[in-house]
Amino acid sequence: MLITQLKSKETIEALAKGKTVIINCHGCKEVYFPEQEAAELQKELSVGGNVTEIITRDYICNPDNLRFQLKKFEDKIKDADTVLVFSCGVGVQTVAAFLEDKKVFACCDTCPLPGFQGVTPLEFDCGQCGECYLNSTGGICPITACSKSLVNGQCGGAKNGRCEVNKDMECGWERIYRKLEKLGRLDTLKYEAKVRDYAKPFKESKDEG
Amino acid sequence: MEDYTKFKLKRAEELIPLLADKQNIFIVACNKCFKEFETFDEPECGEFERLAKEQGKTLTGCAKVDFLCNKTTTAKRLQSVLPAETENVFVISCGLGIQTVADLVEKPVFAASDSIAYRGKHGMALTKTRCDACGQCYLNLTGGICPIVDCSKSLVNGQCGGAKNGKCEVNKNMDCGWQKIYERLEKQGLLSDFLNQPVQVRDYSKVNFKLINEYVKSVREKRFDGYYGGIHPSEHKEYSEHLSLKNFPEVKTVVIPMSQHAGAPAEPIVAVGDIVKVGQRIGEAKGFISANIHSSVSGKVIAVEPRPHATNGSVMSVVIESDGKNTPHESVKPAGDLDSMTSEQIIDLVREKGIVGMGGAGFPTSVKIKPPKPVDTVLLNGCECEPMLTADHRVMVEYADDIIYGLKALLKASGAEKGIIAIEDNKPDAVEIMQAKTANIDNIEVVVAKTKYPQGAEKMLIKRVLGRSVPSGGLPADVGAIVSNVSTVKAVSDAIKTGMPLIERVVTVTGERIKNPGNYVVKIGTPVKALVDYCGGVTSDDVTIKMGGPMMGFELKDLGVPVMKGTNGIIAIEPVAAEPSPCIKCGRCADVCPMELKPLYFTKYAGTENWQGFKDQNVMDCIECGCCQTICSSKIPIVSMIKIGKKAIREGK
Repeated sequence: MLITQLKSKETIEALAKGKTVIINCHGCKEVYFPEQEAAELQKELSVGGNVTEIITRDYICNPDNLRFQLKKFEDKIKDADTVLVFSCGVGVQTVAAFLEDKKVFACCDTCPLPGFQGVTPLEFDCGQCGECYLNSTGGICPITACSKSLVNGQCGGAKNGRCEVNKDMECGWERIYRKLEKLGRLDTLKYEAKVRDYAKPFKESKDEG
Repeated sequence: MEDYTKFKLKRAEELIPLLADKQNIFIVACNKCFKEFETFDEPECGEFERLAKEQGKTLTGCAKVDFLCNKTTTAKRLQSVLPAETENVFVISCGLGIQTVADLVEKPVFAASDSIAYRGKHGMALTKTRCDACGQCYLNLTGGICPIVDCSKSLVNGQCGGAKNGKCEVNKNMDCGWQKIYERLEKQGLLSDFLNQPVQVRDYSKVNFKLINEYVKSVREKRFDGYYGGIHPSEHKEYSEHLSLKNFPEVKTVVIPMSQHAGAPAEPIVAVGDIVKVGQRIGEAKGFISANIHSSVSGKVIAVEPRPHATNGSVMSVVIESDGKNTPHESVKPAGDLDSMTSEQIIDLVREKGIVGMGGAGFPTSVKIKPPKPVDTVLLNGCECEPMLTADHRVMVEYADDIIYGLKALLKASGAEKGIIAIEDNKPDAVEIMQAKTANIDNIEVVVAKTKYPQGAEKMLIKRVLGRSVPSGGLPADVGAIVSNVSTVKAVSDAIKTGMPLIERVVTVTGERIKNPGNYVVKIGTPVKALVDYCGGVTSDDVTIKMGGPMMGFELKDLGVPVMKGTNGIIAIEPVAAEPSPCIKCGRCADVCPMELKPLYFTKYAGTENWQGFKDQNVMDCIECGCCQTICSSKIPIVSMIKIGKKAIREGK
């Protein structure tokens, strides 16, 4: 689940060369896909008559589903010079792998969605650091709630509870302090200084790639 | 299938000191997401329980929760399970779940697990394909192979030169990403394009967190607006929303089914050869929950026999050949002045004139407006949240006075004090007219609701407009409300003003595969085929025709079936086939279910005929809105599985 943004109109126009088939993915639309903007842009691209098909499906990141859904358009795709994909990077790569011989282009840039999870965006984020600090911090994450990801207390730069990096943000460490104070557990903060092991998440990950 | 599980239990060496000074422990474990969905218990909770017991700890209990990061459902669950004597809460989950619990519970919350990095694993299909969400997609330069994740050094200008025999020097199990890119581009004849590209510099500031945070905030707001969940399907109301109502031309033969409503079918009271007139009763309600049926034309009854029906296979129907004169029946005469009518008279008239809910379900209106409990509000549903349909929209724009008159009749009949007309914000013209027409009426108000499907469902609308929650298994009257569709009250108004029963209705004929969309006043009994043909037919043989909207409509195999009291649309759309794959527990269905159910369980239980499981997951609360099925990343036909479960439970299994 990711956020997709359209690439600039000029970029997309330059990509649409020759007969073009467009594939839209609406799978994560409820999270974020610029449906209206994409539709308008595709209308403009269609004016010249080179867009031979606009296909809108969901979850094209699932290769089986993609194959099944594109079957109907086999001839149009075969005939096309270019396939433009409006989806996240996973979707584009899945299409590119399936249509190995075709020029498959991405029309979106993909941005991370805070807190990749089963449900729609939460106000919390998890940095997947692999060494959960929440036990020392009253359940408020210093990696994501502190803009400097400090693990041993505040930097001292906050003013009136606001972060010096981002004034819209509360100082994470002040929040941690207040939460622990409320729970009567301020002594928790007397832990030995921690050193963050940046390699840890990768050691733990099953990710071989 | 890949497994994107994002956490693992911390090691005993770390957990034992953490447990040392703590007693009265409650354990919350997340049932994990993004893995093949099985209904057995995940082992972590048991492992931690054992460890805590070995350390001589007292446990106050444990809870295994699906989608712990879903704050709405988790809050409810924790409220009901957390014993008062608990002093410390331990959570086994990814960092999101732990923070959610820490935020909800007033007690100290501890993490018993660490989150694992899952770099780039963002697909909704648990594939090996990854995306690092760098915000500056390079795939257009690299033949659709990602240099950020497929090159272990994330180089964007070509290979490092360290690969041996096509294998990466960092990780020998991995193919060199740049070699793959080279081969793909060579095959496509695009090598020179690539080599002529200027040097790429990666811009790490490209990901605009501020923008993303704003999106996230707006998505959250949309999700919780009015009621939990719901979706925003592509609406395509533009095909027909601007088209004024037209009378559909007379057809020669109408087929009027005796079952067009919820409850018992009506009994035909005419015989072959009888001459009937417009508005004459031809079917009599059988029982309390049933409805009268009237002739929509004048002419001769040529058959009384079972005929194909849109939803029920074959249903007893009266077939009438029209004489084209439309002579009204003697019973069709004004009922009098609303002010002088009693509540009983209105209810009787509504029953006599065969008026049923015209939003689709067809519940007899006379039963609805005589609720078993006192009600304070009549809510008129002008949301028309189904995509494509514009029938109610046009009725509101063109028959605003009738709707207000009908609403007044319902207020009088039910004894409610206040009338509210709820309209979604995608119909600004209807909102404007209704607001203007009700400006001087004290007890009638127009509420504009942000568009979200299924807002038109009774329970959602009550929650959205009145902020009241209909209890599980309850009726709107339990929270003092009646909900009625705008077209239905227009029919009530007609019945009072002219005495005409419900014999015609507005039908939207639309969809991307219909030649000339339109909104028509159509006589009940008109075959669907006549409508499709009149609108120029379909533009392609590759088409699905549905009665109703794309979300809750019924696919029609036989276009000979007639338009009924609940037929708000006929749509011709592109068929989208689906090939279901196993549930990956992505949680989207639980995320969008407006009734706050967990539809994923039904997909498991239907296969194993686990009827008790269906009951435990409150299947009877499901309103069959189809949000879960629409959003399902595995394309599972969830609604049909739910129907199987409901049917079994109704049969007493």
